[in-house]
Amino acid sequence: MPNDRREIAVDYLARVEGEGAMYLKIDGDEVTDLQFNIFEPPRFYEAFLRGRYFGEAPDITARICGICPVAYQTSAVNAMENAAGMFIGGQIRELRRLLYFGEWIESHTLHVYMLHAPDFLGYPSAIEMAADLPDVVGNALRLKKLGNTIMTVVGGREIHPINVRVGGFYRAPTKPELQALVEELEWAVETAVATVSLVAGFDFPDFDREYEFVALHHPDEYAITDGRIVSSSGLDIDPTEWPDHFEETHVEWSNALHANIKGGGGYYVGPMARFALNGEQLSPLALAAASSVGLVPGVTNPFKSIIVRAVEIVHACETALEIIAAYEPPDPPFLTVEPRSATGHGASEAPRGLLYHRYEIDENEMIVDAQIVPPTSQNQRSIEEDLRQYVTGRTHLDDETLQWQLEQAIRNYDPCISCATHFLDLTVDRTDPQG
Amino acid sequence: MRRLIGIGNPDRGDDAAGWEVAGRVTSWDVSRLTAGSLSLIDLWQDDDEVVIVDAMKSGAPVGTVVCIDAICDRLPHGAFSSTHAFGPAAVVELARTMARLPRSLIVYGIEAGQVEHGTPMTTAVATAVDQLALELQDA
Repeated sequence: MPNDRREIAVDYLARVEGEGAMYLKIDGDEVTDLQFNIFEPPRFYEAFLRGRYFGEAPDITARICGICPVAYQTSAVNAMENAAGMFIGGQIRELRRLLYFGEWIESHTLHVYMLHAPDFLGYPSAIEMAADLPDVVGNALRLKKLGNTIMTVVGGREIHPINVRVGGFYRAPTKPELQALVEELEWAVETAVATVSLVAGFDFPDFDREYEFVALHHPDEYAITDGRIVSSSGLDIDPTEWPDHFEETHVEWSNALHANIKGGGGYYVGPMARFALNGEQLSPLALAAASSVGLVPGVTNPFKSIIVRAVEIVHACETALEIIAAYEPPDPPFLTVEPRSATGHGASEAPRGLLYHRYEIDENEMIVDAQIVPPTSQNQRSIEEDLRQYVTGRTHLDDETLQWQLEQAIRNYDPCISCATHFLDLTVDRTDPQG
Repeated sequence: MRRLIGIGNPDRGDDAAGWEVAGRVTSWDVSRLTAGSLSLIDLWQDDDEVVIVDAMKSGAPVGTVVCIDAICDRLPHGAFSSTHAFGPAAVVELARTMARLPRSLIVYGIEAGQVEHGTPMTTAVATAVDQLALELQDA
């Protein structure tokens, strides 16, 4: 229908985290309006952090998300420690990495198998997929359970961990407690490698575009808990410089702020950005798994992000084994941190991408101002641009096919709409210009 | 084992219903979930007797309690939803597909009125919570 105008509205997008909608208006072959609409009600976390004791930030911000609470806790403790002029290394940092890998395994497995794979295999959901592929879904549930177990052993609870505090942990797990994870992690490495092969065999739409990738970078490892913020165009800054280079703006169709590079535009955070900027630092088996399916850093087909997530599961499991092998319980399990009259910045790599926090602390160690910039907020413009470019050249597709593929394109980002401010409302509007 | 699982957000009005019921019953092995419904499958064993309590949105009068034998019947699509990607109804159906349901699975749904953040339960739901908790305690 090249001469038609039409409108596609998705009022509810399934298999994403949260409540959102999409509206698309097409005039002939041209997209005349496109809005990724997050209508999750604002939850005012930044506002009610004000007046709270700095040490409460990890527990309060963990409540922002049931899928990635460790990310919120880690960026929060990084910021508080930064405000106190401290950096926590050694075995406390290793435990933080292990806890974070638990979250990556849990979150990535949920997305790769249960939310995104059905798109590629033509199933409406994982339930129908499980009827045909019970072993695959069974492995997914077992992998996810492993991620949750790591979070329980290190974090004290699989959802909203309670063992994380500014300066470290309330209690360090014992060596036998971590050693008990080894057998299942060894199974998980093999299963994760097989997952890379599985998802790399999917049919991917022919779609690439140029991205400004932004991620943390660490000189010695595939960054997850801390690092400098780097980009594919050469940005290389400390997280304390985030406000100098990035800004948040409001658009009327979304309850989540859009993040932009000052003087630039939208950018991409998440697995493809990490892989593009840090891919050489993946664990040996993860690198080998990527190489075996021809995946090289710099991939720009967002649909292939599912392969990158699978590679990151391998990395998480293999590196978790290394951490456990070298583990010595930190004693004490935390260092005293006393931020006073200071501003602290913290960033870490949530499963969905860079998560930045900033806190201003007064002389009584109370929070007077807070800023939290989740990955899905940062990816909103990129999601909209993906959709706009994807539709161009595919306007001949019928509404049902177009809607399926556009929802799949949104799920490329594993959007956590709850974090960003939940469901996607897709409306495609096509109107006959003669009519 | 007899296991009672209460699902809900204690800070979101009537969505707290399942959470509150589970918090008041001491005669069962109790679990409470605010998120991560996929973990439900890990909470039960094949021979367990399981009861799930959750808020629902079916269009019935607020505070209405329905009881569904989930071994015999499918959960009504949409009534037990979640703002998270995998809601309780989907998890129960996934478990059914994978032959991983417990021996007995009864789901109680309490019709929610409002689920605004930071609000208390409505009187009708609070009353239903009290009554159901008493029934389960004595069951």
